[in-house]
Amino acid sequence: MTYPSRFKCDDVTPRSEATAAQAEMPEDIFSTAEIPFPSERPLNVYAFDPSLGNFVSNQMVTRVRYENLAAGPVGERFAVIDYDGSQKTFYKPVDLDDPRLLMTHGLLPSEADPRFHQQMVYAVASETLQRFEYALGRRVRWRTRLDRSQPPAPRGASRRLNLFPHAMCEANAFYSPDAHGILFGYFTASRTNPGRNLPGQTVFTCLSHDIIVHETTHAIVDGIREHFMEPTNVDVAAFHEAFADLAALFLHFSHKEVLVDTLQKTGGKLFEFKLKGDAELAPGATPAIQSQLGAENPLIALATQFGEAAGRQSCLRSALMTPATPEGAKEIATKIEPHERGSILVAAVFDAYFTVYGRRTFDLFRIFRAGGGNIDKADLPVPLANRLAMEASRTAEEFFTICARALDYCPPVDITFGDFLRALLTAHLDYTPDDPDHIRDALMQAFRLRGIVAENASAFSEEALFWPKVVRGKLEVEDLIFGDPNGLTKAEKDHNGDVLRAFAVEKADKLGFDPKAAKIEAPSFHPMFSTGKDGKLYVSMIVELVQTMRVPFGHGIPGTFPMRNGVTLLIAQDPPEHDKRPNPRVRFVIPKLYHPDREERVRNFYVGSGRATTTPSEHDEDKRFRLDFALLHAGV
Amino acid sequence: MPGRQRSEPSSPPRTRKPAGSGGSVRKRTTPAAKAAPSPTAAAPKAARGLRVRMYRIGFGDFFLLSVPTGGGASHILIDCGVHAKDLGSMRAAVTQMAKDCGNRLALVIMTHRHADHISGFGSCADIFAEIEVERVWMPWFENPDDQKAVAFQASLVAMAGQLGRQFQARLAAKPDPAVEQLLSMAENITGGLGVAGIAANQKALNVLHGGFRNSQPKPDYYKAGDVPTLPAALAAAGLTAEILGPPIDDALIRQMTNKNQQYLAGATEISDQLARLKPFGNAFRGRREDYDDKAFAPYGYDRVKSMLDGAQPDVLAAQAKAADKTLNNQSLVILFSFAGKNLLFAGDAQWGNWENFLYGGAYGTPGHTQLTARARDILGKIDFYKVGHHGSANATPKDAVKAMRIGCVGMCSTQEHAYNEVPRAPLLDALRQRMNDQLARSDQVAAAPDKPANPDAGPLPPAFSTPGQQLFIDYDF
Repeated sequence: MTYPSRFKCDDVTPRSEATAAQAEMPEDIFSTAEIPFPSERPLNVYAFDPSLGNFVSNQMVTRVRYENLAAGPVGERFAVIDYDGSQKTFYKPVDLDDPRLLMTHGLLPSEADPRFHQQMVYAVASETLQRFEYALGRRVRWRTRLDRSQPPAPRGASRRLNLFPHAMCEANAFYSPDAHGILFGYFTASRTNPGRNLPGQTVFTCLSHDIIVHETTHAIVDGIREHFMEPTNVDVAAFHEAFADLAALFLHFSHKEVLVDTLQKTGGKLFEFKLKGDAELAPGATPAIQSQLGAENPLIALATQFGEAAGRQSCLRSALMTPATPEGAKEIATKIEPHERGSILVAAVFDAYFTVYGRRTFDLFRIFRAGGGNIDKADLPVPLANRLAMEASRTAEEFFTICARALDYCPPVDITFGDFLRALLTAHLDYTPDDPDHIRDALMQAFRLRGIVAENASAFSEEALFWPKVVRGKLEVEDLIFGDPNGLTKAEKDHNGDVLRAFAVEKADKLGFDPKAAKIEAPSFHPMFSTGKDGKLYVSMIVELVQTMRVPFGHGIPGTFPMRNGVTLLIAQDPPEHDKRPNPRVRFVIPKLYHPDREERVRNFYVGSGRATTTPSEHDEDKRFRLDFALLHAGV
Repeated sequence: MPGRQRSEPSSPPRTRKPAGSGGSVRKRTTPAAKAAPSPTAAAPKAARGLRVRMYRIGFGDFFLLSVPTGGGASHILIDCGVHAKDLGSMRAAVTQMAKDCGNRLALVIMTHRHADHISGFGSCADIFAEIEVERVWMPWFENPDDQKAVAFQASLVAMAGQLGRQFQARLAAKPDPAVEQLLSMAENITGGLGVAGIAANQKALNVLHGGFRNSQPKPDYYKAGDVPTLPAALAAAGLTAEILGPPIDDALIRQMTNKNQQYLAGATEISDQLARLKPFGNAFRGRREDYDDKAFAPYGYDRVKSMLDGAQPDVLAAQAKAADKTLNNQSLVILFSFAGKNLLFAGDAQWGNWENFLYGGAYGTPGHTQLTARARDILGKIDFYKVGHHGSANATPKDAVKAMRIGCVGMCSTQEHAYNEVPRAPLLDALRQRMNDQLARSDQVAAAPDKPANPDAGPLPPAFSTPGQQLFIDYDF
């Protein structure tokens, strides 16, 4: 499947059998009776999950790129396969190309019809993928094998990921590289403490917008980075959870109606947890009807139904509520459970987001007050709410893009929160050198207040936190092929792989590798084409170089573990000068190099988390050194 | 005896350092000394008469620490339990212990409520009913007045019970040694069901909470940093104690409780469910043929299905392991000091418990990658170490081994093939190296004439002795 369908919106394929009448007429290349392909397919989904009912447009229409779909739906990037592993049965697949469904934006939201579940999973996963591909400026591939030591997957596996909306009867949903897909579970809500659900009602994780985005994000990150799933320090699992949560949360802010409604009920303060009820309630009075009840702010809550049904509390709320004080900063040294720890990172990014939102809307509030308006007394007027919503959603878009792009600026292995901060700042600097609203400062301060620091950075200042920039002309890679935005051919990829591996050995001392320690691999290289704010096209390549040493545990524990060192390179291809194309130059070298202390830290972490003593599974010795989202999300 | 002589000459120069830090330890214990009105504790000059006795019962812990006092030896019992690979010697050992202490124990310490640390209190309740006990120490998790702790323990036990039933069902369907170990792990938490349907561990706990001969005062419940109250005679003799674990972490406990309750909610519904949860009406049932063959490309239908089946984790096994670790981490970790000798009893503390003591926070976070000065100081002066968790690798972090004083002495109560890779021979080797080979294993002595020592465990190092030829091993300071 290549890209014949790239310009589908104006694709006009001539019919093969021309009628006799047409044959007599002279050929007219400008006219056709073919109906143009639509560019988007609108589909009904829940904006949050069924438990929120129909309050403010909990049902919304999401627009995904149009493609021909087989029953399932089965498309180019996702195949929804509705096999229930507990009931050992298939459910009837939905055919979204059925004319009746095309008329109605697909099936209406329903908990009782599995075909709506298939539709929603397809729609939300596709939307998430599109947003990432848009932000990254390139196509995302799915991971097809866990390790280089395993046999390659059949051709085409990297294009399509499987989604199993009712894989098991369990309060769990997870991305599984083994199944090359995402497994969603369903379960009965707690009979004793079901929250807003009916006691004992069936809860479907595949109907939670947040859960679908969260799991899809795990799959995307795993596809981008080969060694990110190895929990080599306390931050790794937490980082994955936080990153996936950030993607889910920022997507909330693209839901216009919810946004406007929330803005009105919080008086523009998007970060408030409680919303005012629809109907007026005197201070101190007890609500008598449902519309007087205050609700939780849905924008900054995650997977509410799942959390309540499983009797599990969201750690996000407590993280967002933790005061940004030296006392609160201590949590980073004590919280080690991945969800709790991840919430600290989410809170930091959201602190920056709300700060920037505040800066950008400050003037609007002043104008409003200057005209005699009072945000504490009355609801916001609709025009103001609309303007605020615009800012909120633009800022969210920007933050999501920075976060997604920051992935490319992370070292290839052993990520820490501090690395992510440096990646965020550098990615933002690279794409938006001028920073009128001080986004970088807001990020930096928010991280600092939560005790997240970058090791090896000489100071907590922007300059010190940017990854070190290579001086122009000091490090160049000859003969690298960038191709065009449609991708590289197999021969071009093989060529680039050879070039990069040779480069790594030749320039090992500059990059910081010891070439004698082990072979240096180039697990990934992605050409990228992005338009800068100045309107120019920037051509660059993002390269991972990774060296894997097998290091014994020693100290009474048999076996070895993979100790990985690596650098991420950002290579730029400048336009030709004097009719000569300059050598591609390395702009950033983002290192995670060998250091005895780091080896010790990784070893200790594997021992402390029990991975060192787990018996390796028979055919895959290193499986124990990878994150298991199945257990992580089951809360074990 | 040469081993003992080897350690004696080296002690005078060392006494200086412990004396300094020991002084501060004693200062911290002064309120305790007040609580137990006692004459000013004059530091004893020599540790002669101080003895640790380890009984061989199988896979479990059973230690008696005897301290010389003005009125003869005073005794501290630290745990009394066996779980897997019970050698049947518990009764003989408890009888022996009762004789050793003359039916008087100054202090009973329960490090944590795993069966392999407390079962003896239940199975030999009649013998314990004849023993006078002055004080009882337990981890703070056992405090009946702490609602959080009570709820936590109750849900942990309930969960272990559920897990046990499920593993039993699995075993009934198909014998599997791995599942047997999981079952054993779950039953270690409950103690298994006794005749009256009361969990055996509960019976043992009842004894600890008031089944001794006298009506001893309420047990003391301790956490890291608490100042423990020693019985008057022991305090007077100059014994001091410090509590190094378990740490108190409200958030962690709340989270564990949530998880357990969530699991329990699910489990009860599975067991009483009338039919398997059927999510959709029959009309929605489909067949593989409803899908285009291309839907399963490129893997093909069979492979997709087997990949899907293979991706389901054994959540129950993971739960059992997590519960086991949680309970081990409740262990009281105690440092005793007497006449310049420091003895560390770490229960079964695993990483989470040690982490707090060793690094002062979550390992790997900024500022918590190195041993704290205090941890280095304490480990650098110990003379005796009760090897944690029967010699499992997770229970004695290697940073702790590396910081232990070279030439200290160790005792490890263990039994092979009871628990996944315990004892871990390479860890014991590393400890032996640190200890100049002065590491005793409980299976180096016969439990009974028909239960000989384990030949693979090697001979008992010369620093230790077996006065009774069987059943127990002594270390005399």
